Formats: sequence, C-alpha cells, structure tokens
Amino acid sequence: METRPWLRTARARAQVRLWSIFGEPLWIIVNMGFPIFSSLAFSLLYLSIGAGSYVGFAVLGGVMVAFWGNVLWSMASNFNWDKQEGLFDIYLTSPASITALLVGMAAGGILATAPTAGIVTVLGWLLFHPVVSPSWPAVVLTFGLTLVALYALGMTLSSLYLVYGREAETMNNVIQEPVSMLSGMYFPSIGAFSPFPFALQVAASLIPLTIGMDALRKSLFFGQGVEGLWLDLFLLADLAVAMLIASAVSLDALERKGRRDGTISVRIR
Amino acid sequence: MLSFRSLFAAAWMGIQHDLAWTTPAASLLLDVVAPFASIMTVSIIYWFGASHGTTPFDPARLAYILVGATLYAHVAAYAWVPTAAIAEGKNLGVFPHIYITSRSTALYLAGRALSSFAISTTTSMLALCFAYFAVGGFLHEPVPLMITPLSVVLLAVALLVNIPGALGLGYLLGAYSLYASKFEWSLPGYVAGLLMIFSGAIFPTSTLPWPLSVAAAGLPFTQFIAAARDAVIAPGNLGGYGPSLLYCLAGGVIMLAAFLVVYLSAEKRARRDGVLDRRLA
Repeated sequence: METRPWLRTARARAQVRLWSIFGEPLWIIVNMGFPIFSSLAFSLLYLSIGAGSYVGFAVLGGVMVAFWGNVLWSMASNFNWDKQEGLFDIYLTSPASITALLVGMAAGGILATAPTAGIVTVLGWLLFHPVVSPSWPAVVLTFGLTLVALYALGMTLSSLYLVYGREAETMNNVIQEPVSMLSGMYFPSIGAFSPFPFALQVAASLIPLTIGMDALRKSLFFGQGVEGLWLDLFLLADLAVAMLIASAVSLDALERKGRRDGTISVRIR
Repeated sequence: MLSFRSLFAAAWMGIQHDLAWTTPAASLLLDVVAPFASIMTVSIIYWFGASHGTTPFDPARLAYILVGATLYAHVAAYAWVPTAAIAEGKNLGVFPHIYITSRSTALYLAGRALSSFAISTTTSMLALCFAYFAVGGFLHEPVPLMITPLSVVLLAVALLVNIPGALGLGYLLGAYSLYASKFEWSLPGYVAGLLMIFSGAIFPTSTLPWPLSVAAAGLPFTQFIAAARDAVIAPGNLGGYGPSLLYCLAGGVIMLAAFLVVYLSAEKRARRDGVLDRRLA
C-alpha cells in the first residue's frame, strides 16, 4: 500500500469535516445543544441532592457525550448518508482507501467536536466550579487514548452500518443512551461505586468509553497519576487496536459482500 | 379544516413509518431501550449522589425522579415528530405529496404526532415498568409507586391533557423546519434539553435561580409531570392533581392555538416562497 495517497485521502476527508464545521460556525452552536443541556441538567441534579462535590462528573460527562454523539452520528452512520447523497459511489469508484476516509473522518470529527467540548467545559466550570485535583499527564494521556479507542469503535460501527439503510438511524437511537448509561458517562459504572453486578461491569468494560471515563475521573478528580492508571491505559490501548483491526476486517468483508450483492451503493433501503 | 379521515390517515401513516420497518413488536421493544436507559441513568445518578452526598437517600425522591424522567422522555419523543416529519419528508420527497393535497399540512402533522403519542405512551410506560424492576434489582431500593386502577386512570388523563401543549410545541418547531434545511435536526434536541432543565423532570424547579424557577413552574409540561406524580407516587396527592391538570390544559391550549397560528402563517408563506418541496431551502 502506498502511504502518500492514503494520507492525502485521510487529510482531504478531515478537511471536509473541518470546513463543514468551521466554515459555518453556527454548526458549533447547533452541536453543543445536547451536551450542554444534559451536562447542566445532571449538574443541577447533583446539586439538588446535596452532592455538589460530584458536579464535575456531570460536566465531564457532557464533554465526552459530545464526542460520543459525534462518533455515532458523524462516523457510524456517515456512510449511510453518503450513500443517500450519492457520495459513496464516488468513493467506491475512486482509488481512495475507505479506511483512509474513515481515519480522516475521525480526525476531522475530533477537531470539529473540540470547540463543543471546550464550551461545555468552560460553561460548567463557570457555573458550577467543580472541584478538580488533576494529574495532567494522566488526564491528557487518558483523554487521548479514549478518543482513539472511541473513534476506532466508530470506524467499526461505520463498516457494520454499510449493510444497513435507514435502519442505521434506528440503531444509533437504540445504542446511544444504553452506551451512555453502561459506560458511566455521568456516574461510576465500574468499580466499587458501581450499581451494576460484576458480569455487567465486565461487559460494559468492552466499550472503550467505560474504561476511559473511569480513568478520566480518577485522574481528573482524584489525582491518580499514570503509574496508578497503567491497567486502564493498557486496556484502552488494547481496545483501540482491537477496534481498528475489527473495523478493517469488517469493512473489507462487508464491502465485498455489498459489491457482490449489488447493495453497497443503494441509496435508500 | 378539520377532517377526522385525514387525521386518521396521517396517524396510520405514522404508525406504519415508526413500526412497520420491522415487526411491530421488535420495533416497540427497540423504542423502549432509549427511554429505559435514560431513566436508569438519572435514577443511578440520584442513587450515587445521595449515597455519597449530604442529603440522605429518600425512596420518594427516587420515585419522583423515575416518574419525571419517564414523562420527560415521553414528551421529548413525540413533541419533535412534526419537525422530523417535515425534515425527513422533504429529504425523501414525501412532504410534497402531502402539501399538494387540499388539506393543510397541519392536519398531517397532528396525525403523525398523535400516532407517535400512542407509540411513545406504550414505550415509555414499558420503560417505566422495566426501570422500576431494574432499579429494585440493581440498587436494592424500594420505589414507592402506587399502581391502582384509579392511579392508572389519573395518569392516562394527565397524558391526554398534555397533548395540546406538546402538539403546540411541535407546530412551533415544524414552522421552523418548513424553512430550514440544515439545523432542524438539532433544534428538537435543544428544546428537549431545555425541557429536561425547566420541566421539573429530574429536580424541582425551585432549584433554578429566580426568575427561571417561576417561569419553569409555569410551563404546562411542568404541571403535567407534577400531576402525574401526584397520581402515581404513594401516598398520592389528589388535592394537587386537579389544579396541576387544569393549569396544564389551559397552558397547553393557549400554546396550541398560538403556535398553530404561527405554523399556518409559516406554511402559507413557505408555499408563496416555494420552499415547501426544496430539500435545500
């Protein structure tokens, strides 16, 4: 595989995503609605029950839910929309690598979601003054690895969604909230403070967000450094690699199946 | 002009659209998943916060949150259907077939909203049942809900009385969608987010700073959720149920009348401007 066309494809796809957001800044305001309001609502819930010291969990959840929403709606189901718009046919007939497109989409998605995450953070900090005790190297490393693993999950879902038509939207609606719940976006879902039985905690740990959120809380609010989080970081890295391999394999298999069955570029099913 | 036949046809189309893409039972069950998860999320946040905060855990408060989160999910699920019907209809070319008929599209939207109300009522009540048992199983906490024939009837009446307000909100969002072609999908998310904060769904509106707390308490949706709580949370508060319901009805009817006028004006203008059938308005 030549790397130059691959990188150019990824960069081009990332640029499209960035231009679509930063070319029309109203998109940033539009995208931040759900993360901000859910973060505000859960922060107020924590405050109303005398648990103000955990408000930071709600703010952090708002930040990460922005990325999760981006993965679901702008990664996983993107090929479905590309099919409807007729773009997917162009991808298929061009020499561009589909994996490179997905990587570019992910990179662009992360950068495009960053302003929303930043605004949620600033607003949460200004309104609620959450108490933090960060170990910054661990926070940065955990945050980065979580995003890599999360967008790798998005790439896997994207390849699976190639076989779906409009059901992709239903699938997104079905998995969005349960993943938020199981991954402990706003409360600890694994470990000593989890309400879930052990088996469910193990199952939830297969979602990259679960390990990522847990490690982010430990590093951001309880000051745990890299040395105390090595297992979480190791698991996150493992999940990221596993998801990338899974996405490559499923993409290849489903692309071939779609070509064989003649359904890969059917616009509306 | 009101036509029950058109209304029924639109509602039936909505049922087909929402349920017939797979088997109805599977579709209904899939629709239960999201509200169930969101109810569980809010309940667990309360359980976790109360277990580690300064206020002791209170089962009545858990029931308050459980019912509020359920009804919030219910309203959010069907109030945005007019927006989706227009946006998706324009995108897939269905909406032009509706607006060229002799009936106003407002009737079509009402039918779609009513079908969604029926589906959402079913799914949110199922989600509440599942969450009731899951909360008991995971959190090992009792939830003092009062399920009697009377309380079920009172809850059903409250659900029905909330329709005008939710439909009014749907018309307001729909008016925007007639013109928009980019941001209409996220507008309902904004409104749902605002409702989560201002409808007293998961915390009392008195938590909000003045004057937001007063404005929030005056919303028909807040009164609807309050009435439903009075009906189903033990020991019940029938004295508060009636006034809340009346307030919800009055506010809802005013909202419906006002926003229907807004929608009809937008529709008239959209016809004149020729944007009704444009995918990119």
